[in-house]
Amino acid sequence: MSLLSVQDVRAGYGPLEVLHGISLEVQAGEIVVILGANGAGKTTTMRAVSGMIAREGRITYEGADITGTSAEKIVRLGIAQVPQGRGTFTELTVEDNLRAGAYVRSDSVEADLARWFEVFPRLAERRNQRAGSLSGGEQQMLAIARALMSRPKLLLCDEPSLGLAPLITQELFEVIKRLNADEGLSVLLVEQNANLAMKIAHRVYLLETGNVVASGTAAEIASDDSIRKAYLGA
Amino acid sequence: MWKIKEGSAPHWALRLLGVAVIFFAVIWIPTQMSTSRIGQFSDAFVLIIAAMSLNLVLGFTGMISIGHSAFFGVGGYTAAILIKDHGWSPGYTFYAAAVIAFVLGCLIALPALRIKGVYLALVTLAVAVLFPVLVKWKKLVWLTDGAKGIDSVRYDELPVWPIIGELKGRDGRAVFAYWLAFVILVVTYAVCRGVVKSRFGRSLVAIRDNETAAAVMGVNLTATKVLVFGISASLCSMAGVLSTLRTGVITPEGQYVTLLGSIVFLLIMVVGGAGTLWGPIVGGLVYVWLDNTTRGFGSDSEGVIGFLFGWADQSPATLILGVALVLIMFLAPYGLVGLIKRLWTKVVVVVPKPAGTSATSVAVTTADTPR
Amino acid sequence: MERFFQYVFDGLSFGAIYALLALGLVVVFRGTGHLNFAQGEMAMFCTFLTWQYHSWGVPLVLAILLGMATGFVMGAGAEVSLIRKVAKKSEAGVFVVSIALFLGLNSLAAMIWGNLPPEQMASLFPDEPDDFLRVFGAVWRYEYMGMLLVALVLMGLLFLLFSKTKFGLAMRSVASNPESARLVGIPTGTVLASSWGIAGAMGALAGTMFGATTGELTAGLMFTVFIYASASATLGGFDSPGGAVIAGLSIGVGEQLAAGYAPGWIGQELRLGVALVIIFVVLLFKPSGLFGSVKVQRV
Repeated sequence: MSLLSVQDVRAGYGPLEVLHGISLEVQAGEIVVILGANGAGKTTTMRAVSGMIAREGRITYEGADITGTSAEKIVRLGIAQVPQGRGTFTELTVEDNLRAGAYVRSDSVEADLARWFEVFPRLAERRNQRAGSLSGGEQQMLAIARALMSRPKLLLCDEPSLGLAPLITQELFEVIKRLNADEGLSVLLVEQNANLAMKIAHRVYLLETGNVVASGTAAEIASDDSIRKAYLGA
Repeated sequence: MWKIKEGSAPHWALRLLGVAVIFFAVIWIPTQMSTSRIGQFSDAFVLIIAAMSLNLVLGFTGMISIGHSAFFGVGGYTAAILIKDHGWSPGYTFYAAAVIAFVLGCLIALPALRIKGVYLALVTLAVAVLFPVLVKWKKLVWLTDGAKGIDSVRYDELPVWPIIGELKGRDGRAVFAYWLAFVILVVTYAVCRGVVKSRFGRSLVAIRDNETAAAVMGVNLTATKVLVFGISASLCSMAGVLSTLRTGVITPEGQYVTLLGSIVFLLIMVVGGAGTLWGPIVGGLVYVWLDNTTRGFGSDSEGVIGFLFGWADQSPATLILGVALVLIMFLAPYGLVGLIKRLWTKVVVVVPKPAGTSATSVAVTTADTPR
Repeated sequence: MERFFQYVFDGLSFGAIYALLALGLVVVFRGTGHLNFAQGEMAMFCTFLTWQYHSWGVPLVLAILLGMATGFVMGAGAEVSLIRKVAKKSEAGVFVVSIALFLGLNSLAAMIWGNLPPEQMASLFPDEPDDFLRVFGAVWRYEYMGMLLVALVLMGLLFLLFSKTKFGLAMRSVASNPESARLVGIPTGTVLASSWGIAGAMGALAGTMFGATTGELTAGLMFTVFIYASASATLGGFDSPGGAVIAGLSIGVGEQLAAGYAPGWIGQELRLGVALVIIFVVLLFKPSGLFGSVKVQRV
């Protein structure tokens, strides 16, 4: 049974349908990457899974149907999203951002705080600073750490590399890869930056104007010449 | 459902029919109804004028104002002071009030250039509350007679108008006031219609819908906003002048001089249909009818004279209006006029001419879009 | 010199009431982005209800608490049933609806209680003519002192709620970024409703204490207080709770000083004018207020 299963999902904004029936799945312990150009529907896919927009079709998580579940409840089930553009609470301190991330938990969060400060030392340095005063890369780290505070089983990442220098992006992807390898965190990642993403992906989906046009393991996709030329810039 | 083409003969016939019905109703009223009823219609006209003026600023341009009662008051006081203390003839007070209110409106529009929404509402709130306070201010009592207001504003001769003939006495005054109010109403309607259907009117709607886009398309935001506010203030002050002429009295706690007046204008506009030409008319008639019918209801209350309210006698009409407003917001966001239009289109549909055939038809579709 | 202190003490006491109501405005604005135009009328209505509970035999303190609870329910109820639904359609609509609430509550209160003989709101504090303290030669009535103390305590509790509790964190998160708040599992609907509820409860307390100092209860009780509160929130910054408190107290003291030292120019009549001019000037020159952030165009 896959961890997350998306079947023939349609979603959009008002009268505009963006996803025309997509299907994908994430197995436990996998990093799955969705690639696609602007406007392909990557963010819409993320928001459909995390429950932020209305969707038709069928989405199951650990076997249970979450197609109609609200975003707040989906977080409690163990799915956490890092939104596009970071979405940090800019007026709150770094520490408060992290504590907010743990909202759904009722146990003590001190150990988790300590842990993420260790993984992201730059956040530790700035723990009492207003999140809005952090650099783009630091805010992205903060957003990821915040999502991880709820101890999710599935992490949704929406274009983490957006607006970041390549070195920072590499660092971030290293962290994600490590978390996946060491703890079995499953990740669904959407990206425009194919090269970096492919390096950590187990499987890849290609999204084009609301439809899945190709899928396979990272190796398969990378070695398919026609796909490479069309989407990955040779 | 009956489809007729815009501009065709049946269309014109329908329009003429409508005009004729209104024409005869308006003429019939003063000849057949009691003096007090005529007075009620005059009051309704005054209210409608004020609501129409607010509609220009709020309905069409999207600038929130709850300060129009101040313009109403300015008009009323200008007339009272000029007639009583300086012996002006009433006709000219309209012009004086219009000019003064226009300047005031432009001044008050200046903050509106930098702030929007809630904050603009607050500024206009301050204006509305400030007006009665200033009127009662010790330093201005020489001008305004303070809290007791100006009364006995009398003008002796009623001009003799064609057709209506000579009017005398109290009944004559009532009829005169009625016709005067109606004339001003028609003028106001004409001005509003002219503004709305002009290029200026389209820039107003553009500002309402998306200011940045409007600016990019070449609309001069500053000039437009200031101008429309000035015009709106002018028209509203006409209503104030009319009120003084009709009742002969103006006080700082008077009917539409306080914040409550602004609120009533707003509610009438929204209930009738904001952003439509007929909305304030329908809303005003409904409100006055409601007010008069419910005035005698058992649950009247005395002793409620809040500091700035002047609820001389409280009728449930305003409560009903408040409830109606909430219902309208949910059920009929385009107001009563929107409802009527929807029902009307089940009977008759005017098929518009294809776009581009004439400037007027394009103006009709954009400027009449209700909000 | 005694005169000065008199104005300061009175100003602080009434300023505390303005600050309480202003805090309500700020909490709602920070949480939901809306201005609750009916804040004063809700407070007035709950004050009448408190008086009603008391006259039915409920002990005063309990009646006041009950009134605050009613205020909470009223505020939260308004948000859930009216505001939330209209906000989806248009922001300007929310303002219009709150005006309708303003009018409706005012009319309703007048209709329900208007016919009664003039009634007084009982005071929590001793309020006989000789219940006062002499400080620096000025007279500080116990009931005014009490108002200031209770208001300060309530404001302190609110600050604690915001900064030290999980729910307060949730409220701050929603205020900062409602979308992200949903993404971390915060029940934004509950938070929004609670913002209005808290404002309602604070308004009820403000109205009750204020009502006890005035003569009789009328439907116009809280209108001027609302104006002062709006001026305070404007001056302090609509998204700054601390600013609202400081501004409220300042305006309270300021108007007393202005009215007291310039009786010819300002006197009792133009006291309100001071607040109105403040609104005008602040919005003209620094719309975000003294302590607020520059996010003025939320609508």
